[in-house]
Amino acid sequence: MKKLLTGTALAVCMTSPALAEGTLNLYVWSDSIAPDLIEKFGEEYDITVNVDGYTSNEDLLTKLQAGASGYDISAPSHHFLRIMIDEGLLENFDAKELDAFNQVDERWRNQWWDETQEYSIPMAYGTAGFAVNTAEYDGPTDSMKYFFEPGEDLSGRIALLSYPDEVIGAAQLYLGVPFCSEDSSEMKRVLDLLMAQKEHVAAYSSDNIEGRLGSGEVAAHFWWDGTMTKALRSVDNLEYAMPKEGLVGWMDSWVIPKGAPNRENAIKFIEFMSTPENATAQMNYYAHSSPLELIEADLVYTQEKAPALYPTVPVEMSRTCSPKAQDLVTRVWTQLLQ
Amino acid sequence: MSDTAHTAHASAGASPARRRPLNLAYLGLLPSWLIMGFALLLPILIVAAVSVSTRGAYGGFEWGFDLTGYSQILFNEGWEGEMEFTPQYLIIILRTIVLAALTTLLCLVLAVPVSYFIAQQSSSRKALLVYLVTLPFWMSLILRVYAWMIILGKDGPLPRFLEVFGAPSGLSLMYNDGATLAAMVYTYIPLMVLPVFASIEKLDGTLIEAAHDLYGNRWVTLRRVILPLTAPGIISGAILVFVPALGAVLEPILMGGGKQMMMGSLIQLQFGGGRNWPFGSAIAVMLLVFVMIVLIILALRAARKEAAA
Repeated sequence: MKKLLTGTALAVCMTSPALAEGTLNLYVWSDSIAPDLIEKFGEEYDITVNVDGYTSNEDLLTKLQAGASGYDISAPSHHFLRIMIDEGLLENFDAKELDAFNQVDERWRNQWWDETQEYSIPMAYGTAGFAVNTAEYDGPTDSMKYFFEPGEDLSGRIALLSYPDEVIGAAQLYLGVPFCSEDSSEMKRVLDLLMAQKEHVAAYSSDNIEGRLGSGEVAAHFWWDGTMTKALRSVDNLEYAMPKEGLVGWMDSWVIPKGAPNRENAIKFIEFMSTPENATAQMNYYAHSSPLELIEADLVYTQEKAPALYPTVPVEMSRTCSPKAQDLVTRVWTQLLQ
Repeated sequence: MSDTAHTAHASAGASPARRRPLNLAYLGLLPSWLIMGFALLLPILIVAAVSVSTRGAYGGFEWGFDLTGYSQILFNEGWEGEMEFTPQYLIIILRTIVLAALTTLLCLVLAVPVSYFIAQQSSSRKALLVYLVTLPFWMSLILRVYAWMIILGKDGPLPRFLEVFGAPSGLSLMYNDGATLAAMVYTYIPLMVLPVFASIEKLDGTLIEAAHDLYGNRWVTLRRVILPLTAPGIISGAILVFVPALGAVLEPILMGGGKQMMMGSLIQLQFGGGRNWPFGSAIAVMLLVFVMIVLIILALRAARKEAAA
């Protein structure tokens, strides 16, 4: 029986078009990795690369918690990375011993989400805030006030994301409430702010932000710095706000999920993506800032061309909320959309 | 060997009623039992088990017996820190049921004339029209919803058309309940047309003639002859639309703007950001039980009608 199965498996392998040395299964943010880099990696190492995408950290965490995912590489944001390490969902691959680690900018090494830098190599960072379509709105954007307490000109023409994570963070920055607050009276203020904003909101949706804001369906949208920068390739008139209250920061890192079937290939991939040449090509595609050493001369998204990536206001990194704080976040969101 | 076979044969011959040969037909059904067991029953049992397990601090769950997931549907800690009755989940559940029911009703109202029309055509045109009804299924649901976003959105064909009749320019018909409903009806209507068409096609025309001969006007004919005879198609169509409409996530968010949560998004939130799998599972189980009750009621009524006929 076993022989028969092996035979069938072999036959299936033989008939698949790419007969490569090995495989590598990526589970990363949708559309986040430069396709030509994946192709180049596959050819250089004779590895078949499969790419699946997720669109929220919650999706990724849920999938890894559900058990053997079969994935070799993922890229959670820092505050989820911390949970995944603590919950034993990641492989310790002694990341600090890799060549890739030496490419990482000093200020992004050994942060609280992976102090010993054994589980992760940073790959991209950025902020979340709001962007406006300047053809539809020419008012000021230097405060969150215009977004959370919109006047006549933005009423009914703003949109947020369909999940709470960074939206609540931005509201907390505006109100001066600490991230992951466990104080229910503070979180009630966050709810009151969002409730009052709701009547001016057109949509709570994380899909098709580019189309919604670019077409002028809405005039202001909660968004990420790099995603907006990337959208500038096809849409004009987009501007990322620099509110004086600050922006919500995040950092995505390569990790290897526990029990990854192709651990060695995963390490090869991380090393490959972290060389200055490839890291530059990756940033030119992804349009989010890179924490790695780059070849400045080849960089497309310079401060001049992509001001959104070079914030002029304080950036407050998201935190890993305690279960109590997370329950308050969920309560705010459920009551907002009940 | 031959001895035993002989004996078996003899005894079988002596009392054929007592010894039946092993029915191999059941063995032939084994693949379908396995598929039913592993692909349908097992996942439901897992969800039911998670719904009574203990919630993990950062999502996930630990096996155990804990009914908190179910009590959370009605009672939660309020802003003052005391347990209180929280109607929000009931509101979300009720809203979802109303949306699904409205979708079903609109699908039915639109599908009956369409099916009747198709049934009247020549057989070659009939085949073509039925094919056209199923055509949207060849495309991904998300693309079809995006198409509706373009149709109803700012500067889309429909607002442009309405401008001709004096609607303000720059009008957008997106992000309201009507937009959600339009996309829902569009998505699910083929599931209504096909079974309704199948039963209308089988309708015996002479019975309608007979109704007219007996001085039944059109309304009476529809109510007393056509509808009762096509009821099986209408009921299966209604089930095929109502049940998946209860779990709709895409349309309310993309078309309605996600301003009011539906049960699908609520369950998603609990497994994601809410990190409360037992509660998410409890809502899913509740949805399942509700659907089962509705189906059982419908099945019982159908059986009683059949018995009466």
